[in-house]
Amino acid sequence: MRKEDTVKLISAEGFEFVIDRKAALVSNTLKNMLTSSGSFTETELGEVRFPEISTPILEKVCQYFYWSLQFASGKETEFHIEPEITLELMMAANYLHT
Amino acid sequence: MSQPKKKNFKIEPFKHKVEMDPKYAEKTWKILEDAIHEIYNHNASGLSFEELYRNAYNMVLHKYGEKLYSGLVNTMTQHLREIAKSVESAQGGLFLEELNSKWLEHNKSLQMIRDILMYMDRTYVTNFNKTPVHELGLNLWRDNIVRSSKIRDRLLDTLLDLVHRERTGEVINRGLMRNITKMLMDLGPTVYQEEFERPFLEAAADFYRLESQQFIETSDCADYLKKAERRLNEEIERVTHYLDPRSEIKITAVVEKEMIGNHMKLLVEMENSGLVSMLIDDKYDDLARMYNLFRRVTTGLQTVREVMIHHLRETGRQLVMDPERLKDPVEFVQRLLDEKDKYDKIIHLSFSNDKTFQNALNSAFEFFINLNVRSPEFISLFVDDKLRKGLKGVSEEDVETVLDKVMMLFRYLQEKDVFEKYYKQHLAKRLLSGRTVSDDAERSLIVKLKTECGYQFTSKLEGMFTDMKTSRDTMQGFNAMLANTGESSETRATAEGPTLAVQVLTTGSWPTQSGARCNLPTEILTMCDKFKAYYLSTHTGRRLTWQTNMGTADLKATFGSTNKHELNVSTYQMCVLLLFNMADKLNYREIEQATDIPSQDLKRNLQSLACVKGKNVLRKEPMSKDISEDDVFIFNDKFQSKFYKVKISTVVAQKESEPEKQETRQKVEEDRKPQIEAAIVRIMKSRRVLDHNNIISEVTKQLQARFLPNPAVIKKRIESLIEREFLERDRIDRKLYRYLA
Repeated sequence: MRKEDTVKLISAEGFEFVIDRKAALVSNTLKNMLTSSGSFTETELGEVRFPEISTPILEKVCQYFYWSLQFASGKETEFHIEPEITLELMMAANYLHT
Repeated sequence: MSQPKKKNFKIEPFKHKVEMDPKYAEKTWKILEDAIHEIYNHNASGLSFEELYRNAYNMVLHKYGEKLYSGLVNTMTQHLREIAKSVESAQGGLFLEELNSKWLEHNKSLQMIRDILMYMDRTYVTNFNKTPVHELGLNLWRDNIVRSSKIRDRLLDTLLDLVHRERTGEVINRGLMRNITKMLMDLGPTVYQEEFERPFLEAAADFYRLESQQFIETSDCADYLKKAERRLNEEIERVTHYLDPRSEIKITAVVEKEMIGNHMKLLVEMENSGLVSMLIDDKYDDLARMYNLFRRVTTGLQTVREVMIHHLRETGRQLVMDPERLKDPVEFVQRLLDEKDKYDKIIHLSFSNDKTFQNALNSAFEFFINLNVRSPEFISLFVDDKLRKGLKGVSEEDVETVLDKVMMLFRYLQEKDVFEKYYKQHLAKRLLSGRTVSDDAERSLIVKLKTECGYQFTSKLEGMFTDMKTSRDTMQGFNAMLANTGESSETRATAEGPTLAVQVLTTGSWPTQSGARCNLPTEILTMCDKFKAYYLSTHTGRRLTWQTNMGTADLKATFGSTNKHELNVSTYQMCVLLLFNMADKLNYREIEQATDIPSQDLKRNLQSLACVKGKNVLRKEPMSKDISEDDVFIFNDKFQSKFYKVKISTVVAQKESEPEKQETRQKVEEDRKPQIEAAIVRIMKSRRVLDHNNIISEVTKQLQARFLPNPAVIKKRIESLIEREFLERDRIDRKLYRYLA
């Protein structure tokens, strides 16, 4: 995988998730960050740091990105969410405009 | 992320985990404000999108949206004021360049700001009905830059100046122009219209008002139109290069109004180069140009059309009223046809076959053809000429085109029944003298007349053709009968018995003149009687009368001792000449007595026998051009001619003489009476009650296809019908008529 095709998402604890750019674009916020015409650091480095999102939540978010891509292409499955993280996950979703 | 929640999950009241730092908002805004400055200074590469986004997000989340929004407005306004200063200070031509580059930068910055403040756009702006960031940026640009007092007028002047310079032939930076107008369009259609388009149109109007004034003073119509056309195309091109496409219709309207609309009359009526001279000189290109330009203006084509009609009517009137032209009917009609061809071509080539122009042409022709009461006669004479000799050796298609053209003129005639009258006369002459060139052409024309005017119009004409055909059959039968009774043609020839060819004509179908009398020579009379007997034996109950004034005869004559000729003469002339078998010298009275030919006809026939040079088979004493009642005629035994066959034509006026004309006119009027009466009765029968004016208009409408009835004549007919108790006047309202069944 070429570097341009991937993005690195870094959680509050410093955990790095490398995912497909395509998957990251599911989030409108990420989409803006990565494609903004201005030369922000995120656009240039291809990595985004989220100081307010914890590792498990970010992991769940990344799973969701991939699930969403599949869902959009016609594969309709359930996306399971543990109750304990629901609130935090929703806040992250609002933040990421997903 | 909207996922179904587990059933037993309980949502706790939301509590802020972090105690709010009271300075938090200030601090966060400071970060964002700095970022906006950096963005405007092209220094964004060190900024973290996530951080800025998160800060804006948090501010909105913690109810500081208002602060964020107003802060943004202030900061942006501040930057724009600076930009305005730098744009203002740009010198001369750099002004637009500067404005443009700043605009591009602002756009880019604005986009970045919008991106980082996206959360605010999404929530705060929609919730509080604020202007979205992007639009806000444009509005601020509009108010602080475009409409700032120092830039507004300068921008407009610069733009208008550039356009003006381009109009006067200079090359300008169209790309830059395009960017600036694009900027105005981006700021909203009203900005474009108010800041640029309206003054632009006003300036254009001024410019073209002035220019058209100069042009019209210095150039002729054709040149002016060329210039106007070029200007129009330039403006259209200008729009495609750097204006809003919606401006095209507005600017062209301005040019049309100033260049064409305001000068239409002047242009069209321009002396020596206006519409009239273009028409005369067949300037197809110029005319087409005029058509295309004038079409754009509301009353443009109407103006052109009116002038054309006026011109057509005027030339037409001269054409049909010129006494010189009236001398030769064929030439006269040919001129009309040429005129029609000319204008057809103009309308085809220059006016793109515009229907309204065709109608105008038709109405003009109808107008002036009917100015001359002799038009129907002349058209018939023209046809006569064509069918006698004009169409000899001409291909069938050409014949058709000529006939079609004649039909077209015929359509213009109002007095179609007059034409019919003359046509009948001329056709009778053609048929009886066997002078028609082509039977097909004759028939084709009749068919055309029939489709044009209906069966009634041509039934008599067709009857004439049928008569000719049955006559041929009858003659065959007659000759066969003669042969059977022992008189073969050979013995008759040696016995100098004449051969008789009879054409039996149905009374009513032919324009016969009654009372034509003459004493036929005995040889002929016997033959006539034989034929009469034969004919009546096959057709009982009919009456035959001889129309001696319409026949012809071939005579073999010997002049001197050796000079033999065959003379083709009229029946009257034959009677006269046969008298000279008995005597060499006869005076006028003797001839008149012996033949009993009406004196006018006799004089005319004697004239052609004695006074035409080269065909004078008789000598007259005293020698003179005219025949008087004391003249003496002598058989001319010194007669010589190059040809064996000599045709002695009667001196007949091709055109009708004045009294004849009156006579025909009278006949036509007479014929119209029953037609008018029939029309009145038809109308009254269906309407029962009708007032005078309505009757007149209905009758006129019904008879239009044949002639234009005179209201006075209609009135007389109505009176006659009242006398005969077909109609009565209403007792109360004297204007009303009632139909009496």
